[in-house]
Amino acid sequence: MPKIKYIEPNGVEHVVELQPGQSVMQGAVWNGIPGIVAECGGSCACGTCRVYVDESWREKTGQASDMEDATMEIREDSRPGKRLSCQLTVTAELDGLVVRIPESQW
Amino acid sequence: MQTLTDLDLPHLPVETPAFAENPLRYLAEARAKHPWIASSSIGYLVHDYGAIRELLGQDDKLRPAYDGIVEQLGAHGTPWGRFTEEQMISLPVEQHRLLRDTFAAKFTPRYANQMRPMMQGTIRRLLDEWAPKGRFDFEEFASYFPISNMFTLVGAPREEIPSIRASFETLGLAFSMDKRRMPAIHEAFGRVEALVQRLIAERRAHPESGNRDDLLHLLIQTSDEGGIAERQLADLLIFLFVAGYDTSKNVLTHTMYLLLQRPEIYERCGQDHAYCGKVLEEAIRYYNPGQVPRFTSRDVAFRDVLIPRDTMLWFTLSISGRDPIAFPDPERFDPDRQIEPTRRHIAFSLGKHMCLGQFIARAQLQEALHQIPQRLRNPRLVGKFGWRPFPGIWGLHGLPIEFEPVEA
Repeated sequence: MPKIKYIEPNGVEHVVELQPGQSVMQGAVWNGIPGIVAECGGSCACGTCRVYVDESWREKTGQASDMEDATMEIREDSRPGKRLSCQLTVTAELDGLVVRIPESQW
Repeated sequence: MQTLTDLDLPHLPVETPAFAENPLRYLAEARAKHPWIASSSIGYLVHDYGAIRELLGQDDKLRPAYDGIVEQLGAHGTPWGRFTEEQMISLPVEQHRLLRDTFAAKFTPRYANQMRPMMQGTIRRLLDEWAPKGRFDFEEFASYFPISNMFTLVGAPREEIPSIRASFETLGLAFSMDKRRMPAIHEAFGRVEALVQRLIAERRAHPESGNRDDLLHLLIQTSDEGGIAERQLADLLIFLFVAGYDTSKNVLTHTMYLLLQRPEIYERCGQDHAYCGKVLEEAIRYYNPGQVPRFTSRDVAFRDVLIPRDTMLWFTLSISGRDPIAFPDPERFDPDRQIEPTRRHIAFSLGKHMCLGQFIARAQLQEALHQIPQRLRNPRLVGKFGWRPFPGIWGLHGLPIEFEPVEA
């Protein structure tokens, strides 16, 4: 199964194996990784599951949709690689994906 | 594991005025008997913040219980009953997703921010009209604000608001679960339904009369493209008006009530737009209007209690922010309170039915909190106020204030 690496702002790393089809958000929530809140449970509606995709992976994860971009505007954020992890679906191709968790979702 | 029905639960008199006035007193007693759930005349109440947070987001175990409300009120087969059972949140999963996705684009943080100039204009116009009075019922004043924004968002003429406001007021009390209100609720629903049908018909007849970017145009376009039936189109507009009327109105009124007792915070709101956002978040932790009804869609085991399938549960979002287990010193109103990610208020609910209007609500309330102190100086309470019924959309009933008007 694909392995996803989550890095907390303090540098603590978590590696989780996920089934293809699950979201990066679900991987964090189901494994108790702190910092990904996901209040709406994955509807791209609350903007509280933000992560930053490591630069080397951005081509494979692709671009955020308009809806996702509009939802991320719950706060100003110019840091590159930002995505809502509920919109990142795990595939075999994403085995090894590295995402960083923000200090705060708000 | 014990089954819910076998537990000796505390009973909360949610239907009484005394409970509406001070639910926390009753909650403290109930918690001593059982930590997270109580019984009441309208169903079980899950009142513990942690329990709500753990359960409410589990969309695979719960379904909206609006059919349960209609049944309790004996309103099956009435137009209001049909609307309530069929409204967007109660639709089957696929239809719900279609509608929600179609309209969600108008409820994003980006769109809410784009609407801020409109919201600023709305509150400015209202203050121009009301501030010279020097004394008024703040709740009545506040009642014109969110609905004016909602009408503008939809593309409905604001001139309709004064004549229909009383009907929104009545419909806002529908979930108070008081059968005696039903004749008035049916009458009010008929008036709102007729207005919405007329708005749709007029726009269809004269598409050029509206803005091609407004929600009514989008709704009609989507409907015509075959995705949504006419009935659902009208229902959705009614839903938006009703949902957008007294939730934000009650929050604004209660926030004013809190700030009447905290003049330094009130004054700072008039000077500091960003601070208004923090005040608002703390205000909706402290109080919010909502109780969310759900049925269990299967047997649910939770904290050693088996909740059988088809059990009606009310989640009391309204008072969850003052749970002493989740929030240290919960009675202290502190806009600078640290927000723990897993201990943030849940005023807008959780999961896939989370409030679609949360960003519109936040934006408009922040704009109001910024302008009101600039125009109503030194406000003070000058009379009695009451409380709306706790079930449904709870809140203050009336808030008579006096102040020194400031010209724009």
